[in-house]
Amino acid sequence: MRVLTPEGDHLDFMTLNMGPSHPATHGTLRIFCALDGETMKAAVCEMGYLHRGFEKMVEQGTYSMVLPYTDRLNYCSAMINNIGFCKAVEKMFNVTVPERCITLRVVLIELSRIIDHLVCSCTNLVDLGALTNFWYFFNTREEVYKIWEKLCGQRLTNTVTRIGGMYRDAYPGFEDDVRKVLVKIEAAVAEVRGLIEHNKIFIDRTKDVCVVSAEEAISYGWTGPCLRASGVDRDLRKDEPYYGYETYQFDTVVGETGDTFDRIMIRLYEMLESVSIVRQALDRLKPGPVNAPDARLSLPDRDRVYHDMEALINSFKLIYEGVRPPPGECYDAIEAANGELGFHITSDGGTNPYRIKVRPPCFTQYAAFGPMCEGEMIADAAATLGSINIIAGELDR
Amino acid sequence: MTFKPVPATVAAVSDSFVPDGVIATSVEAVVNWGRRNSLWPFPFGTACCGIEFMGVVSSVFDISRFGAELVRFSPRQADLLIIAGTITYKQAPVLRRIYDQMCEPKWVISAGACATSGGFYDCYCTVPGIDEIIPVDIYIAGCPPRPEAFLEGLVQLQNKIAREHLKEQKAVGA
Amino acid sequence: MSTAAGKGISGEGDVRSWKREPIKPGKSDDQLQALAAERFGLARDAKDRWNLTMTLAAGQAKAKLHEVVRVLRDDPELRFDMLLDLAAIDYLSYPNHRGPRFAVVYLFKSLVFRHRFKLKVEVEEDDAELPSIHDLYRIADWSEREVFDQMGVVFSGHPNLKRILNHHEFIGHPLRKDYPCQKRQKLSINDPMVDQLESRLKHFGYQVVDSGEVHLGAPIAAKHQSVAEQGSVDTQKQKNAAGAVGAGGI
Repeated sequence: MRVLTPEGDHLDFMTLNMGPSHPATHGTLRIFCALDGETMKAAVCEMGYLHRGFEKMVEQGTYSMVLPYTDRLNYCSAMINNIGFCKAVEKMFNVTVPERCITLRVVLIELSRIIDHLVCSCTNLVDLGALTNFWYFFNTREEVYKIWEKLCGQRLTNTVTRIGGMYRDAYPGFEDDVRKVLVKIEAAVAEVRGLIEHNKIFIDRTKDVCVVSAEEAISYGWTGPCLRASGVDRDLRKDEPYYGYETYQFDTVVGETGDTFDRIMIRLYEMLESVSIVRQALDRLKPGPVNAPDARLSLPDRDRVYHDMEALINSFKLIYEGVRPPPGECYDAIEAANGELGFHITSDGGTNPYRIKVRPPCFTQYAAFGPMCEGEMIADAAATLGSINIIAGELDR
Repeated sequence: MTFKPVPATVAAVSDSFVPDGVIATSVEAVVNWGRRNSLWPFPFGTACCGIEFMGVVSSVFDISRFGAELVRFSPRQADLLIIAGTITYKQAPVLRRIYDQMCEPKWVISAGACATSGGFYDCYCTVPGIDEIIPVDIYIAGCPPRPEAFLEGLVQLQNKIAREHLKEQKAVGA
Repeated sequence: MSTAAGKGISGEGDVRSWKREPIKPGKSDDQLQALAAERFGLARDAKDRWNLTMTLAAGQAKAKLHEVVRVLRDDPELRFDMLLDLAAIDYLSYPNHRGPRFAVVYLFKSLVFRHRFKLKVEVEEDDAELPSIHDLYRIADWSEREVFDQMGVVFSGHPNLKRILNHHEFIGHPLRKDYPCQKRQKLSINDPMVDQLESRLKHFGYQVVDSGEVHLGAPIAAKHQSVAEQGSVDTQKQKNAAGAVGAGGI
């Protein structure tokens, strides 16, 4: 591509398609850029390669049938999506789930946040050529997946919550397993920090690369770790606490410059904060019911279904028709691993959702990616794409 | 004359083994033996299944036990295309092009419900199974498939390659 | 570990302290409602039960939307400095619905005060057009593209109102209630995106003299003919079709 610069010189730019089938773009993102040597002079991004119609599909079924679809939004931390959606529907019913369910959900949310950060960090480091970290983090992640399998039988896409509670209570020995895995997570984070924190190659490749100022980040609507990396200390768990997060002792981790280094390191430190929250939550875990005692939401006990006519009808209605939230429009958000995950649910009082709009945190981050990497080296763009953690399932829905 | 026991590497291609390292076998058996034990996969991972494929490559499940750990991101260097994830109509021309860029011989594994049939995304933008676009050798069930299922699919493909005949040309896209 | 609140990752350095202040208590929903009613003449939405939603009527939207949003963002008492999302809704089959067919809900959040605001803008079916606010919030650029793509609401003044989730040969707007869920539309060739790149280069002051050879084959495949259909014909044709598509590996 031949261009005339503002100074009147003629330059030859090379145009390059990066993706959609490129390892750093995870198969679904496309960056079309004009290169001057190795510098990206202009970049435009395209998404939608994994647009699989979430928002149309969920209108076809009942509210309970939405849950498996939410798993596949951010498949690195499926449980947070489950819980976020259930929380939104529970808000529409004005129902509070029992204490044990809340505490279990906090444990699951934070463990999911940890595995999301594990996957994000290690693949990002692989993009930078640091392959060893991948083994450290993936082994730890497999340990968490063993707990998931014991809990609900699935590894990645769990569908572990139900509207009004959980699929089932935790298995005996759950707490011990989690405590053991927490130690391994801390060890893995320490090992990876030891490998990269003072590594000159890593620092040179990431420090002051693709800097996003706080003003830009806010204007792009960034939330979560990426916003905090730019120095804005905002976290839904602190600002608008839910599930008793205000009673847990933890810190938000905040960056200074908003460069790739900050975005990677914030995830490493946030894992340690999440470990601390999980420990506190496990200490509070008391026996009790996990489903809200509300006939509109929760299935009755199996025993009662066989012996009680009302319970039988209730069970039948819930399974064949599902829940019926009151008509209206509700927005509810949760601090997911990537930022604010919101569900804007429109109900017409029927059994199927009339319209569900997801507010995916990735969308805002990817919107900024093109302008972010203009003027940077193309190799750094790959590293930066990893650091903003784009999960295509959530981005494209 | 004393016969040595047949080494395992030789047993894979021939059962007749003469001392002094002479074996009698067909070219086909040797070629297939080489091909099936050194598959170089191109992971076309788009969605959840791609994350599970990363688990397959990692040290817990370790795909290198089956000789297929050399993951290549250039279709020119790969002979096994693993489609792990939903393929949309926007993605379909890309997938077709990647497949065409691969050199013969090449094989395709369709991993997971979405790649195989569209899964539970039966809507305006998803391709109902990648076999509408490219030929597929092995389908793996699951949403997403467990890593063990990935490995089982790979072993099935190896068995299939062992039965191939050199004379037969691959049908489509050759 | 130095993650005590108020400290950066390395614990020292240039810390812009105002951003580290805890979030301030915001206005209550009633206060916001009164304020929005007084200053912009907005009415509370009937479907609103859980969050404060103020409605901007279809007739007023074109004239007032941009100004209302600007005030929401800049007013020192409101400071809705984050546009979270745009949620477009099609009320075609909503029971007992009266009024315009579409609505676009603007979700705002303040990072200074603890309050949120939902602005619901009604859109008539035969005049589905709203003023763009991409100059106020950068994310609005893509959010508006998504609403246009999925619901068919046009944003006047938008610099690049193209489809974003669906492919560029797609016809119709899939999230409208009258679009059948299973109506599939196939793509013959990916969007080259050269025009977008050129306009981006123009933005930086470069003048494109010659677009040159872009990494795309000639578009041989007929439009709206599926890749699968081509797959069933002979091999040579397939090769042509495959050569025609864009966006391969790097």
